[in-house]
Amino acid sequence: MSLKSIILSLTAFLMLLSAPAAFSQSAKLIEAAKKEGGRTVIYGSLESGAFEAIAKAYKKKTGLEVDYWRASATKVMDRALSEYRAGKPLFDVILTNDNPMQIMQKQGIFAKYESPSFADFPKDAIDPNLGPRYRNVIIGVIYNTSIIKPADAPKSLEDLLKPQYRGKLVMPDPTQHTTTTQWVASLWKLMGKEKADKFIRDLAATKPILVESLLPAAKRVTTGETPIAISYVKYVYTFGKEGAPMDYVRLGKMMGDGHYVTLSNKAPHVNAGKVFIDYFLDDESMKILAQEAEFVNRKGVYPPIADADKIEFVEMVDLDRKQFAEKKKELQAIFLK
Amino acid sequence: MNGKTITVRQEIPVASIVTRALHFFRAPIHWVFLGVAGILAFLSLYPTAFLIYGSFTDAPLGVPGHFTFANYIRAYSDPSAYPLILNSFVFGIGSSGLSIILASALAWITVRTNAPFRRVFELTAIIPNILPPLLVSISWVMLLNPNNGLINVILVRLLGLEKGPFSIYSIAGLIFVEGLILTPLAFLIISAALKGMDPSLEESAKTLGSTELGVATRITFPLMRPAILAAGTLNFVRAVESFDTPAIIALPARIEVFTTKIWREALGSFPTNHNLAAAYGIGILVIALLFVYLYRRFTSRVESFSTVTGKAFQPHQIDLGPWRYLASIWALVLLIMMVVLPIIVLLLISFLPYYHVPTWQSWQTLTFKHFLAILDSDRVYKAFGNSLFLALGGATVCMVLAALTSYITVRTKIAGRGLLEGLVFIPWAFPGTALALGLLWAYVDFPIPIYATIWIIMIAYVTRFLPYGLRAVSSTIIQIHKELEEASVVCGAGFFATFRRILIPLMRPGVIAGWIILVTIFMREFSASIFLYSPGSEPLGPLIYFFYLDGLYGPMASLGLIISLICVMLIAVAQRFSRWETR
Repeated sequence: MSLKSIILSLTAFLMLLSAPAAFSQSAKLIEAAKKEGGRTVIYGSLESGAFEAIAKAYKKKTGLEVDYWRASATKVMDRALSEYRAGKPLFDVILTNDNPMQIMQKQGIFAKYESPSFADFPKDAIDPNLGPRYRNVIIGVIYNTSIIKPADAPKSLEDLLKPQYRGKLVMPDPTQHTTTTQWVASLWKLMGKEKADKFIRDLAATKPILVESLLPAAKRVTTGETPIAISYVKYVYTFGKEGAPMDYVRLGKMMGDGHYVTLSNKAPHVNAGKVFIDYFLDDESMKILAQEAEFVNRKGVYPPIADADKIEFVEMVDLDRKQFAEKKKELQAIFLK
Repeated sequence: MNGKTITVRQEIPVASIVTRALHFFRAPIHWVFLGVAGILAFLSLYPTAFLIYGSFTDAPLGVPGHFTFANYIRAYSDPSAYPLILNSFVFGIGSSGLSIILASALAWITVRTNAPFRRVFELTAIIPNILPPLLVSISWVMLLNPNNGLINVILVRLLGLEKGPFSIYSIAGLIFVEGLILTPLAFLIISAALKGMDPSLEESAKTLGSTELGVATRITFPLMRPAILAAGTLNFVRAVESFDTPAIIALPARIEVFTTKIWREALGSFPTNHNLAAAYGIGILVIALLFVYLYRRFTSRVESFSTVTGKAFQPHQIDLGPWRYLASIWALVLLIMMVVLPIIVLLLISFLPYYHVPTWQSWQTLTFKHFLAILDSDRVYKAFGNSLFLALGGATVCMVLAALTSYITVRTKIAGRGLLEGLVFIPWAFPGTALALGLLWAYVDFPIPIYATIWIIMIAYVTRFLPYGLRAVSSTIIQIHKELEEASVVCGAGFFATFRRILIPLMRPGVIAGWIILVTIFMREFSASIFLYSPGSEPLGPLIYFFYLDGLYGPMASLGLIISLICVMLIAVAQRFSRWETR
């Protein structure tokens, strides 16, 4: 027997030893989940396509079903809190971005559940209350390559102010769209306060086309109606695979928001909720998400977007209710005058 | 006299009250009145009370709070709110006015003339009512956006222009698209009334030498006034409370209306402020109630509109001679705008891998993948089953309630009958989203477990859309002369027999029209469903919206087209059934 085959056999033996521990815990939970009805109710803002891919794999692996209620982060929080206050929470798991998760956490609607899958995330990505920031949604500048050749595309955020791009930029209305308000309020993290303030004023002066959120902005780029957008970088892949001629500006540092998954402390199907979180934060699920162009927090796992590994993620600042209201008012005077 | 004043109090004997009460309860119509009033009061006042409470409290609904005027002060002390209200008025009047003009022309051509293909036009005219407004708005953006709207691109290429002549992103564009969206509803109401009109007055006018134009302006139009006002009132409020079209067209045009402000300040804000939304909702309620009051004043002289009498008649058909072809062309142009162009865009979105202005190469990339994706989806089948159940069940319940309510308010002298109409209009006047919030909270602690089931959605549909059914029936019932019921009663028939054998058959065009309106609305309802559905009870409206939200325009358009096709088939069956019934 060669040394190589001995090492391989030993590795396989060790894997077999370690596997049953994890499996027995999952198996017990799965059994308990089946006794609860075999379903998990999830409220979340993860896109339906990505979620369905995970739900299919989850069912295959555990035999359990999921009922997914998809809405914007604001509506997810709104519904969850309303049900919770009324004493009739129907959800087991919440799946949305940082700011609403923090607010819901402060309202005390989450249970503390330390999933074994937490161990696979970098320590600095683990929030003491919400667990791991499993993905980052990254906002950048995307454009239609059939209208603007890569050589003629802007190279930086400041380039968007150049006369040749006037009337060609679409972005979500920062006075209305929460994530964009947050993005504008966080620009100082990329360029310093003074430069950021000037950039925001100059950007507003170019009269960008304002739409309701990040996706309609990207959609206008795919149809060619408006060639450049401030939107999620992942749409370059999402719509690119359909054939839309899309690329993004390599800004180096880009801002975005973290997303979390958490168990309700009044979950009607608590075991099913735990099984789902274990699976959702597991390698298999994270790889599926990455394939759906999500930037997951796993070392070496990147979405199929060119140069995705070179993007330096900068987390946007959290704003509370008062700060949001003040910022929106301030931006109304700048963008809607 | 010793200066003392003697007061004589006329006591009503207890026996008299009992006798009156017994007399009241002896008539079956009074039982019906009490039953209908009870149901309507519960449906409308219960959720409305939560919204009013919410507007005067400082805590989210469901949490004890303190009484406050702060929400009203914040909502209405902002001077920028008033130009927006004016914008909403211009938008509402413009789009409802446009819808009335288009619908009246189309109804007159299809019902009263001998224009070729009028039956085809009649069926086609209601298709846009089936298409979700979201899809229609998106289609028109693809057609008329200044940069690469299809119509602009074609005109630029054909005429060698520098840029496209049209821009959807303007108040005119907003009114145009909303007007087209609202036209089918007005068409259904006006054409139902036209069908039920007694032609003898028109024939008399003609015999006395009046021209066709004179008959139309002096006889037909005045007789049609209740239906036209009904459609105008409905469409005005529907436009003022609509959010889909303004969100897609007004925002890029930097035009703000009241609903976009509500969204910005309250419902779309972070975190959501239900209390502020409720305070704004009360403002819209007041405006809507003002319009209901005006409508009731216009239609109060019921007798003057009685045109369906006991005499047998065939609807008067105008022979347009050679002009009939022109009438058909006019109807065709309208239908191209209302149906053909949006459907062409939806077909392009459905069959292209991703939407773009088509080139010759695009035709080689056409694909069925979006259709196959939705036909392969369990979620779509489940949503379709839910919507079909809600549409057929909800529309039937609505029309039964609407027929009874309409009869009581228009035909009887029961004290408090006007209250019924007021009850129906209260929840309708709220923006759909605000009403849904009220319903959610109203039923969350309800003793019967209907929260988070499909039944809460059905209750929402019946509550919110009853006025649509009511208008359709009322404009027909107003035209039925009382002599028919009186003859029935003289012949010994009771209330139920008269209602079933005389009124229902005469009301049938209105009832069928109302039922069709409701089925088509329920099949794609969105604003109430989105808040009320829970996993397992998702209808098609929210599903289409989520396709939009996720950028899945291909599946969105494919599903929209399939729903429209199924609805057209349902309508065709319903119309055939109604004709078969009346034979």
